[in-house]
Amino acid sequence: MANDVTIRIEGLWKRYGLPLPEFVRKGLNYVRTKRTGAEDDDGPWALRDINLEVLRGETLGIIGRNGAGKSTILKVLAGVTGPTRGRVEIRGRVFPMIELNAGLHMELTGRENVRLLGAVMGLSNREIEAKLPDIEDFTELGDWFDRPVRMYSSGMLGRLGFGVAVNIESDVVLIDETFAVGDLKFQNKSLARVKEMRESGATVLLVSHSLETLQFVAREGILLEQGRLLIKGSALQAINEYEKLVFRSEQKRLEHRVRSRISSRDVNIYHARVCDEDGRSLTEVESGQPFGIEVDLRLNRKLERPMFSMGLLNAAGILCKWNISEEDGLVVQGDSHRYLLKVWYPENRLATGAYEAHFAAREAASFETLERIAGIVSFAVIGPERSRGIVSGKCLWELVPHDDKSGEDEAA
Amino acid sequence: MAKLESLNRGIYIHSSPKSERVARFFTLLKALAVRDVTSRYRRSSLGMWWAFLQPVILMLLFNMLRGFVNIPSDGLPYILFSYAALVPWTFFTNAVAACGPSITTNAEVIKKIALPREVFPLAAVCATLFDFVMSAMVLAGLMVWYKVQVSIALLWLLPLVVLMTAVAFGVGILLAGLGTFRKDFIFATPFLTQAWLFITPVIYPLSTVPENWRSVYMLNPMVGVIEGFRNVLLKASAPPTEALVWSLITTVALLSIAWPVFRRLSAYFADVL
Repeated sequence: MANDVTIRIEGLWKRYGLPLPEFVRKGLNYVRTKRTGAEDDDGPWALRDINLEVLRGETLGIIGRNGAGKSTILKVLAGVTGPTRGRVEIRGRVFPMIELNAGLHMELTGRENVRLLGAVMGLSNREIEAKLPDIEDFTELGDWFDRPVRMYSSGMLGRLGFGVAVNIESDVVLIDETFAVGDLKFQNKSLARVKEMRESGATVLLVSHSLETLQFVAREGILLEQGRLLIKGSALQAINEYEKLVFRSEQKRLEHRVRSRISSRDVNIYHARVCDEDGRSLTEVESGQPFGIEVDLRLNRKLERPMFSMGLLNAAGILCKWNISEEDGLVVQGDSHRYLLKVWYPENRLATGAYEAHFAAREAASFETLERIAGIVSFAVIGPERSRGIVSGKCLWELVPHDDKSGEDEAA
Repeated sequence: MAKLESLNRGIYIHSSPKSERVARFFTLLKALAVRDVTSRYRRSSLGMWWAFLQPVILMLLFNMLRGFVNIPSDGLPYILFSYAALVPWTFFTNAVAACGPSITTNAEVIKKIALPREVFPLAAVCATLFDFVMSAMVLAGLMVWYKVQVSIALLWLLPLVVLMTAVAFGVGILLAGLGTFRKDFIFATPFLTQAWLFITPVIYPLSTVPENWRSVYMLNPMVGVIEGFRNVLLKASAPPTEALVWSLITTVALLSIAWPVFRRLSAYFADVL
């Protein structure tokens, strides 16, 4: 193993549960299902063929959706659960910072629990006693430090666990969702401590659902999906890929899901699609690129002033854009005929995310609604930059020295 | 390159010096045992007195029983005779009972941090050892009261305590390992120890066991322990050799089965907890 490789994972597969010998498993299955033909299922793979090398001093963010195997990979690295196949090699003192408050004993005081946790973490008595003042200071518990832990609030519990965790020096630190603990001040302290550890040369592996935290703390990132390693790159790359994954899955969720439909016999809708300038069908639109929606429909009677509307809603169900054909200058008559309705968006200001379209057809002359479909088509807007909110677009910032003192009294 | 989990088909290698791991094990053992002892009696009014009360109550019960049925006691006062056996016996039952759920109660730690899992049942046994010392003090008081003559044979106490702990640990880890996967083993523990009481010379002397059954009877490792305690404390003599040797053999056999089974199972604790 090269000197600066701290963690090396080769062909790691992991499945939970006790692997039983073949005949025992068959026997058990027979008892349970009363038939031998049933397929013996050992449960799904939590990790599939992971290959990864982490160098000393790297800060690796582990990103993925629920059940992607993020926590499992940390558990395997911590040695809590063994790999089912493959090889995992790890160097130096490993320190898992995984929901530590769970190891606390309710009847003991904060101080006694710190001693216990210290021993659980692998500190010697002398080390624990030496660290105790630092930890007491860090947790900001004051008098509560010598009271039974069962009287603590959940925030105080978290602070106690994290206080121990953060004050232990180690070569590899595994962090699983511990940042959500405590108030803002405490969170900042924790982040500062992680930064310190990183600077002292520790390798930090971090699982968090907060992309902001990840972007801030991690330099490198990996993306897991259904137990597979999809990407290893910079944290930003991994986050972007993750968002694409989320948008795609949201788009899938929205797809073919007509949520409500009011229709009359006067209009038939055959098909709708999202397309680009060349008329190719799309499910993903590049952020900022123009795109169109086509609706293949048939009018079953002559319409005096057919009026169409198209609304675009994001995954949260917020209406981002709404257009009416008549206002945009489409004033035509409709015969009893099949048509292709083309809606073109030359300026795409949609932020990255998943969208669905709501479509309606009306007869403007008589105010009749002929057809209204929520979720006629869905698509994802995907882009390299991470803008948040509903609209995309440039934003220019400037920090200018300012001499006007009038506001300062109020601020102070 | 030290730790090689060859029990899995996959390989996990974590390099750390052996001396560090050993030191860590004992620090942890101590911390866990201290936790178990200090936390057990908090929020109970009688507190530490429970450690004394348990064998005393049992002794009184057996004394009452003796009022109805004739139980020989090798010519010793029955209170002394039964209590000298009940102190190690109570330790045994409590230690086994504490071992069983020791993995499940520490699930949160086991799921998160790689530790030698033996430390949890072992800590449970050590914490029970503390109660044992407490109730042994009552025994010492009784011995002074009855003016029991003691001799150099008291030196046997230490090896007997070690043997007793080994038996309890062996049975305990087996139950803890299996009980983590199937709760049935934990539910069965009280029945197991109760039945065990009747095949151990606690309320009756070894001498009442029929001669031709004795060789089978002595396969029970607790026979040597209990009779040993009685001989050493009350009769000022060494433990009965045959019973002690058998006890030693069965204990070694028990541990050489229970420990590997526990090790094998412990690799999957985190998966099922």
